[in-house]
Amino acid sequence: MKSMFSHYLPVCLLLLLSLPTLAETLPPGVIRIDGTSAPALKLNDLDGEPYDLTTTNGHWRFVHFWASWCGPCRKEMPSIERMIATLGDNELEIVLVNTSETEDDVFTFLGIVAPDLVPLMDSDGKVTEMWQPRGLPSTYLVDPDGNIQYQALGGREWEKPEYLEFLQGL
Amino acid sequence: MRFIRQYLITLLPACSLLFAGQAVGVDQPYPGPFVENDDLLMILIPHTPEQMTAFYEARGFPKAALQQIGKQCFVTAHIENKSQRIIWLETANWDLASNGKAIQRVDKQQWTAWWDKINLPDANRSTFGWTQLPTVRDLQPDEPVGGNIILAGNIKRFDLRARFMTGQDKRGGMLDIQFRNIKCPKEEAAP
Repeated sequence: MKSMFSHYLPVCLLLLLSLPTLAETLPPGVIRIDGTSAPALKLNDLDGEPYDLTTTNGHWRFVHFWASWCGPCRKEMPSIERMIATLGDNELEIVLVNTSETEDDVFTFLGIVAPDLVPLMDSDGKVTEMWQPRGLPSTYLVDPDGNIQYQALGGREWEKPEYLEFLQGL
Repeated sequence: MRFIRQYLITLLPACSLLFAGQAVGVDQPYPGPFVENDDLLMILIPHTPEQMTAFYEARGFPKAALQQIGKQCFVTAHIENKSQRIIWLETANWDLASNGKAIQRVDKQQWTAWWDKINLPDANRSTFGWTQLPTVRDLQPDEPVGGNIILAGNIKRFDLRARFMTGQDKRGGMLDIQFRNIKCPKEEAAP
């Protein structure tokens, strides 16, 4: 018995040591950020309702910057809508920020590709500048304490299982 | 024969100087000249002044801005890191030439000066900025980046040599990519 225990102990230790690494397996194009505090995000939505990111502390937030002129954004938006439908009552708060476009442009675009989504309007682009995305589209995952923990690089197929499982696991 | 085959198999993947393919036929996968290999994909898509002014006009840019835009040569670049290491986009390491002479991009400072002169609204400045190719980016595995490279409007054709360092510490070797004789398209004269 003792011999068997000593035989398996190193294997068990190795498995235990590798757990944090396995837990950090991320879907393609998602990178870990240093946990820096998320910049302020106070904007009105397309319906004119005010929104402040800090009021949703306590939940993970999916903060997505986009514009209708950007090809990858147009391709990604329906995927985000399908992701939201699949996640259902998940605690993840979806925050879509349109960068520097008019209400007419956004209304026309979303009416065709994702009519159920209501984005925030960063009409002069100043909030987007503060967040310093690597480009458009760009997605940040903000933890319940208001710190950025992950960033998605470019457009992603959010309705795919690897992304859904990752988001459900937050 | 076997030696030559072995030589080619060994040499070709190691050759870091790559030239652009021409995407002109219906079978071509991309809408412009491109280079694609195991490390990256890079595509150039030159636009006519009319295409660019129409794009920005549709985003509410004023006439004075459109006039300035219409004088330049806009080329949209798409770059995608297909490798599992960091690829460094640093346009300072790129060489642009026309007729054998070095040329420069119309840079952010020049645009800012023009926009200040015509008092361009913040929303337009923001949109214009996000449509430009970043000058520096540590492209992560699987990360794409895109945006415009802008040249003076009197340029008819140009060559681009783009060098990319690789690896976290930029010691992973250099990718050296060349595009030759790329055309800045102009509108056809109306009949």
